[in-house]
Amino acid sequence: MIRLEKVSYSYPDGTPALENLNLVIKKGEFIGIIGKNGSGKSTLALQLSGLLKPQAGRVMIRGMDTRDPSKLPEIRKFVGIVFQNPETQFVGRTVEEDLAFGPENLCFSPMEIRKCVDMALAETGLEKYRHRSPKTLSGGQGQCSALAGVLAMRPECLIFDEVTSMLDPESGISVMEIIKKLHRKGKTIVYITHNLEELHDADRIIVMEKGKVMLEGEPKSIFSDISLKTLGFDLPSLIELAETLKTHGVIIPWEKTASPQSFAEEICQLFLKT
Amino acid sequence: MPIILENVSFSYSKKTPLETSALREINLRIEKGEFVGILGEKGAGKSTLTKLFNGIFKPETGIVRVDGLDPSSREAKRKIGMVFQQAADQLFCKTVYEEIAFGPLNFGYSKKETEQRVYEAIEAVSLDQTELSRDPFSLSGGEMQRVALASALALRPDYLVLDEPITGLDPIGKNDILKTLNRIKEKGTAVITVTHNLKGFFPLLEKIVLLREGRIAFQGSRESYLKKGFEPLPPIASMMKELGVRGLPVNLTVFTVEDALEEIMKLKSILGTDNNENK
Repeated sequence: MIRLEKVSYSYPDGTPALENLNLVIKKGEFIGIIGKNGSGKSTLALQLSGLLKPQAGRVMIRGMDTRDPSKLPEIRKFVGIVFQNPETQFVGRTVEEDLAFGPENLCFSPMEIRKCVDMALAETGLEKYRHRSPKTLSGGQGQCSALAGVLAMRPECLIFDEVTSMLDPESGISVMEIIKKLHRKGKTIVYITHNLEELHDADRIIVMEKGKVMLEGEPKSIFSDISLKTLGFDLPSLIELAETLKTHGVIIPWEKTASPQSFAEEICQLFLKT
Repeated sequence: MPIILENVSFSYSKKTPLETSALREINLRIEKGEFVGILGEKGAGKSTLTKLFNGIFKPETGIVRVDGLDPSSREAKRKIGMVFQQAADQLFCKTVYEEIAFGPLNFGYSKKETEQRVYEAIEAVSLDQTELSRDPFSLSGGEMQRVALASALALRPDYLVLDEPITGLDPIGKNDILKTLNRIKEKGTAVITVTHNLKGFFPLLEKIVLLREGRIAFQGSRESYLKKGFEPLPPIASMMKELGVRGLPVNLTVFTVEDALEEIMKLKSILGTDNNENK
């Protein structure tokens, strides 16, 4: 569905951000991308959405080359992107107007625009805020509104660049719930984060380092890869505990490391069995 | 001398239809050299509380004193350094040097004294001297956070107050700032931080202030916070609490992977023997 072929990109000052990157994203996948600051994650996100064009190699989005300007409107409809700070993404005076901006630009009919806006409001639970100014929303609601603005264009594929990193845990979890629901409905999700705990249920994780893909695999295998620690990542504590327990002969299945409750449940099962 | 809050209340938009009570009957004492975590859900009043420490907000009722001084006095402002969540919001100079020197110059220290303080501050936050001529806005998030921290430290504050200082940073940037804060604390400055990042901060916190709907729900040592089962908790402590809830005899003060391993192996040797015999 999205394919990067030997993509390279350097910033204007010459710092390489992506080097010879190959990557295929399949329809309906939930891909997590992790990496240090400056490892190329955000540049990758911009490449995947056609907002940046490769200097070498090519990015194909459903058969369309992002370097071909005539394909851009079609690409815009297909891929949506949400960034870290919602305030930088608002354009409308009210939430509703803000959501209508995207579909209007894509030349949807007024009827379609109304439908798309209503759907996006429903999907993010923002119906009651439709007449509010987006700037008066809380951090979590603001991020939902930014997400709704993208959903209103009915994209197939959604890219999230550290969307929960500035939110309190509660709001972060509710934004994450919405994203997971969209994934279950069949949307393709590319999710960039520093918080590995959010990627427990991802289909695949890609670890970026210096503009290259360093590791790639299911969360289960990525998180048990010791090289992750040497690369400077913090493993989720419960996964780290499960890994340490394994070396002492206590096996906690992967699914049980998802929450403190399921972890404790498993320990009880193991030790209290009669 | 400490920071003292006595029976402090504060409301937003006082005497308007939008009036909202943010803090109620806060009694609090923070000593020099303590590492204090201010915890609580969003809207609990955490950030509001920090803004009372340095006189940005004035209490509606009650008293705030910093070493016996009115927090909005010039003398008190020199004692309290503030660093906010988005460091970029508090940077405004053309170079990192000017940024860090702004405070001391503003307080009337000589150029020479200021220069000494700038160098001392960048050393404390491990910023390289070559960074001093850079434009602060060209820095990465972690570097900006360190410049904001250095600016606060250049006044050699007795109290460093931080609001979510490590959100948005990558793991390396986070650990860096945490180490720096611990060093600052070791040198005798009180570090008071609002945080949701319990995994990162918990090992450093000596004292916890938990706010719930504008009131203090708990104030005391980390040990007693854990023993009494307050939340939020870092993941490991949360798991230990869940074991306790399920009737297992566990030590609730455990919050690190190493200690949890030891605890679980202990449980295994007490409880797990039957299990093995059955097999």
